[in-house]
Amino acid sequence: MADVVTQRAHYSPPWADVSIIGIAGSSGSGKSTLSHAIVSKLNLPWVVILSMDSFYKSLDEESSRKAFRNEYDFDSPDAIDFDVLVDRLRELKAGKRAEIPIYSFAKHAREKETTSIYSPHVLILEGIFALYDPRVLELLDMKIFCEADADTCLSRRILRDVEERGRDIKGCIKQWFAYVKPNFEAYVEPQRKVADIIVPRGVENRVAIGKTSLSSHTFQLTYGKVMVIQYIERKLIEKSKSHRAALKKLGQSSENDALSENVILLKQTSQVRGMNTIIQDIDTSAEDFIFYFDRIAALLVENALNNIYFKSVTVETPTGNKYHGLHATGETSAVVILRAGSTFETGLRRVLPDCKTGRLLIQSNIRTGEPELHYLKLPQDIRTHDGVLLLDPQMSSGGAGLMAVQVLVDHGVPEDKIVFVTYFAGRIALKGLTKVFPGVKVVVCTTVPDFEERWVASRYLGC
Amino acid sequence: MASSAKPSPIPKQSVGPDYRPEKQKPTATVSTEVPFENVHTLSQTPQLIALLTMIRDKNTDRADFIFYSNRIIRLLVEEGLNHLPVVEHAITTPVGRNYAGVMFQGKICGVSIMRAGEAMEQGLRDCCRSVRIGKILIQRDEETCMPKLFYDKLPEDIADRWCLLLDPMFATGGSAIMAVDVLKSRGVPENRILFLNLIASPQGIENFAKKFPELRVVTAFIDQGLDEKNYIVPGLGDFGDRFYTM
Repeated sequence: MADVVTQRAHYSPPWADVSIIGIAGSSGSGKSTLSHAIVSKLNLPWVVILSMDSFYKSLDEESSRKAFRNEYDFDSPDAIDFDVLVDRLRELKAGKRAEIPIYSFAKHAREKETTSIYSPHVLILEGIFALYDPRVLELLDMKIFCEADADTCLSRRILRDVEERGRDIKGCIKQWFAYVKPNFEAYVEPQRKVADIIVPRGVENRVAIGKTSLSSHTFQLTYGKVMVIQYIERKLIEKSKSHRAALKKLGQSSENDALSENVILLKQTSQVRGMNTIIQDIDTSAEDFIFYFDRIAALLVENALNNIYFKSVTVETPTGNKYHGLHATGETSAVVILRAGSTFETGLRRVLPDCKTGRLLIQSNIRTGEPELHYLKLPQDIRTHDGVLLLDPQMSSGGAGLMAVQVLVDHGVPEDKIVFVTYFAGRIALKGLTKVFPGVKVVVCTTVPDFEERWVASRYLGC
Repeated sequence: MASSAKPSPIPKQSVGPDYRPEKQKPTATVSTEVPFENVHTLSQTPQLIALLTMIRDKNTDRADFIFYSNRIIRLLVEEGLNHLPVVEHAITTPVGRNYAGVMFQGKICGVSIMRAGEAMEQGLRDCCRSVRIGKILIQRDEETCMPKLFYDKLPEDIADRWCLLLDPMFATGGSAIMAVDVLKSRGVPENRILFLNLIASPQGIENFAKKFPELRVVTAFIDQGLDEKNYIVPGLGDFGDRFYTM
């Protein structure tokens, strides 16, 4: 038996090794304009901007009073909490979810809430001191320094502080001469030396000042910016390629394996076979398809629940007798892999009408076939749940399923609490999933030897 | 732990999926084994035991009682329907693959023994959308203490149908025996009657198996026995009251 314990295969989601691009430069040198231009040019949810403004230290009472008098030095590296920044960057680099603080300029303190960043393929770290801390430099894949003359910087800064941060002009100018300028010379400028690319501020002043008119059309890219975008595009293609190659390799390597005992096949009773026939028949009406699919989905969820955890309890009946039975040890929730997983919800609600339900949208890229994570909303306390049912009616290549389990694991759900519930699956995909995640249980109704194009969701949803 | 004075052995065993090591599975009392081939007990999964635990618990309120009962009833109906005949039926799938499937055969109807049996109609309808449902009212005669037929309304063509007889609690089987006699008198062959119930007593099961050897009983759980008032032990109290009026 010992030999049967399959070796865990490795799966690396495309966000596992996020490329981080640091963009530093003086206040008003066009860092955020450049970052936003890059993001809007690429228009992908996997490219995320992280502003270092989020990492200002919360101010104590005295510093806070100073800040309100414009006498606090926000432009010194001391104002930035580099320890937290480095921690968060390391989490992201490891493919984990990172909670980013929200800094309130009105209160000069961190808000209680945080913003979470998860699964970017490329992260743009933008801030005056993006290239300052050696620990950050180690994590950067590309270092950019934005340069502009002092007049431009000052005017842009005044505009920004007055419009966005509610300051008055006098205060801004005071800050400029007291802190910004000396800091620039002492700390900002020297970062130039470590940069891979220096982007001079040029033809786009017009655009930058009239902020609202910013778009990729009016924005004339200078040579440096073209390079940045090309670099990111190349990185994204590389990540997509290696992700697809890894998925393919996993399929090939597990092709000849036996199906894991963690894959639980629904008992093929005559009712199940009869329902299967109706569901798979191309001539079945939409009404019948939905009715029988809901019925089988409820059965699958009932079966999935045999894989959660129970404890012994003794209860008393109304007639005063004792019964030695079982209770679930904790909460069970569900996570629906959209769009197809939504077909399971009627069945799910018949069995667990009030279970918390997370949702994630994974779509296969039309051109490359690569599964891509577009949207994610999970119950806050999901890591404490004792069972998490992951719902997707059909496993074809298995890429979406792998990605979804990876997302749960990244959010702290232990593998052995995850039950993957599916109606129809290719055996290669099942083997791949259980090889990468040997703790995960799979409950499935029907299997086919190989990859089959997805059809369940479009039959159920009618499009 | 169960301090029952009943002599019948209590089958306590560890319950859980096959892949889980024995010592990681919790123990629970499972259904009593009976030596009759026409009795089909649902697989004693941890989830089924947990559902039964909920509806047996006197502290479970009515909403939960109804909900968890319905889940067990659906499982009973699913299992009951497996005893209906099917024929080979080949189809083509949406992706053009051929599939050697099966097609359901035979007309069915439900027959509920009022009032508790009516609680099982929803579960039947969840699986069979437009199923016909007949009703039989049997009450205990105050004078003779024997069950007495008060009312019945059954599909006219019931003799051509498979009958799913519904009554959640199967204690002595007195009213169920009478209901089966009614069905047989309308021409339903014994081997086309399926009696679905949640909790049965070994005595009721034995009475039935001897009297109707061809009729199939599908139950979720066979309990330890009956008390002096002929209530199932440990049972769950009066099902009809807990479902409808308590």
